[in-house]
Amino acid sequence: MLLTTSVGSLPKPDYLLEARAKVRRGEMTAEELRGLEERATRDWVRIQEELGIDIVVDGEQYRGDMVAYFAEHLGGFAQSELVRSYGNRYYRKPIITGKITRSRPVTVEWWTFAQGLTAKPVKGMLTGPYTIMDWSFNEAYPTRRAACLAIARVIRDEARDLERAGAQYIQVDEPAISTRPEEMDLAIEALGIVTRGLKAHTITHICYGDFHAIGRKLDRLPVDQIDLEFANRDFELLEFFRRRRFAKAVGLGVVDVHTHRIEDADQVAQNLRKALTVFRPERVYVDPDCGLKTRSVEEAIGKLRTVVEATRRVRASLSAGGRRGRKVAAGAT
Amino acid sequence: MITTVIGSYPKVAKDTYSTKLIGTIARWQRGEATGEQMESVARDITNAVIAEQEAAGIELVTDGQIRWEDLVTPFAGKLDGIEINGLTRWFNNNVYYRRPVVRGEPTRRGPVLVEALRFAKSCTERPVKAVLPGPYTFATVSEDRHFRSPRRFVRRMAELLNEEAQALAAAGAAMVQFDEPAIGFGKTDMKLAAEGLAIAAQGVKAKTAVATYFGSLNGLFDALMRTPVDVVGIDVVSDPTSLRSLSRARITKELGIGCVDGRNTKLETVTQLHAVFNALRRRVPLDRVYVSPNCGLEFLPHPQALAKLRRLGEAAASYRATRSANR
Repeated sequence: MLLTTSVGSLPKPDYLLEARAKVRRGEMTAEELRGLEERATRDWVRIQEELGIDIVVDGEQYRGDMVAYFAEHLGGFAQSELVRSYGNRYYRKPIITGKITRSRPVTVEWWTFAQGLTAKPVKGMLTGPYTIMDWSFNEAYPTRRAACLAIARVIRDEARDLERAGAQYIQVDEPAISTRPEEMDLAIEALGIVTRGLKAHTITHICYGDFHAIGRKLDRLPVDQIDLEFANRDFELLEFFRRRRFAKAVGLGVVDVHTHRIEDADQVAQNLRKALTVFRPERVYVDPDCGLKTRSVEEAIGKLRTVVEATRRVRASLSAGGRRGRKVAAGAT
Repeated sequence: MITTVIGSYPKVAKDTYSTKLIGTIARWQRGEATGEQMESVARDITNAVIAEQEAAGIELVTDGQIRWEDLVTPFAGKLDGIEINGLTRWFNNNVYYRRPVVRGEPTRRGPVLVEALRFAKSCTERPVKAVLPGPYTFATVSEDRHFRSPRRFVRRMAELLNEEAQALAAAGAAMVQFDEPAIGFGKTDMKLAAEGLAIAAQGVKAKTAVATYFGSLNGLFDALMRTPVDVVGIDVVSDPTSLRSLSRARITKELGIGCVDGRNTKLETVTQLHAVFNALRRRVPLDRVYVSPNCGLEFLPHPQALAKLRRLGEAAASYRATRSANR
């Protein structure tokens, strides 16, 4: 119970950032970069093992943007010039220019590489069809819905290939899902195409946005687990769940990924105990709020260490106290 | 029919002006470039952006909002009583803005956007439109820890925006436009929005306009027609039915018609745009219409933004030519 994991991305070490810049300038070959990506992946798998993370990720050292990565590896997408997302930050927003196809698996090779490095389960990491659609321009499909369902079908093939390769956990991230509450049904339908028939434990991660607009429909998301940010909303979300039955497992973001500060394990343990007054411990997975790629390597390690340490403390009090322990936990809030 | 833009324009363009702004701002933030260096780059880009609008056939231009982080920060950041907080999603876009938080009585120390307007005017002979956030939208996207009353917040913002609008008009803005994407996006307190616009537009010695986008004016159009602004702008891309519903409306003002999709790269055809103009012509004299993209062009990469502006200019020119030939 209370398995620890991370949401997906982990920071790239400086040597990898420099290498990626060199490749862009044509000063380094793709093969040389690949070697460094493997080195960084090896390091992150080892670090997660040493920290005691239960469900490991490959850290996405070979991905840039979570949507652009898939757009670059699927047919039917073109790359755009820069578009601003906020402040002085820009990105290349993919353009759907033709029929969306998948000529070969996109993530399976990296998943297999990472799983080969550890006995712990490695989570397969996909970007969801609704998010890929919403974060792309669409010139080829008549409607947003048509584009979304076309993407769903290729992501489904990818999920099946991951499962065939041995993935026990498959996460399909949908951070855009709360953007347009009126399209929530479309997002659910598309995610259903991806997860239908999978035996792996399926997860979706949702962040940013008007949670209350979509909250009532969370139960209908066709996945086993929903992973949410709790820390950066001061665990206010708990009150939302306290009042309702929730049939799914929950991924509990317990450390904020937008701050440099490493949270104190005692404080996080206390928040986790508070969460266990709402969720049953066997239905709870513990992780940071979101991908850690925007933090420094040291900050990311510090935050993951806090996740593991806080979870250990709560597990210890749960198993020491049995039912009594749970009462103590409730009392601590 | 006058061609115009809503406001923003891509800040970087590999193919024409430059991507220099990104690096310059980054160096300025690290203290490695001076404010003047950054301003000088931004002015060069503003100049280029205005020239691109002119060449594309845009008659009422804006400065492209090259120094704007988002719709609210430039104005909010210069007021006392307001601090700029964390990133929040900008309506239903994968674009973020910094949320203003009102902690004390907002006060305006002096003109905020007047210098930028003067510079834009120095770049062109054409009339220049100044853009401000509308009071209702400003309040909607902010966090109020001071007034604890939407109405008091909207009214106070409207007063401050009115001071700025008057200053912009005095400095030679041909039009002052209040952007109100919050009108028609989700539940709208139209009475309050109208009250805010009335205060904001009062006594402004230039044409005033309200621009709405991202949502639907279904049911709100008549109320906007009763506000004391000269031009009511609607987004007929986000809500294609709004063009048809104009036939039932009483149109007592000039209209702004956002008819080119500023959020998708797919390029409209001249035929499509002519169809919009034809539909309009049946409802309102075309000399009372401004045509533009449905929202700022910054959601698009530069090549597509420019292509869309050119297409709008081209469609308007050919439409006028056929109309006068048929006369």
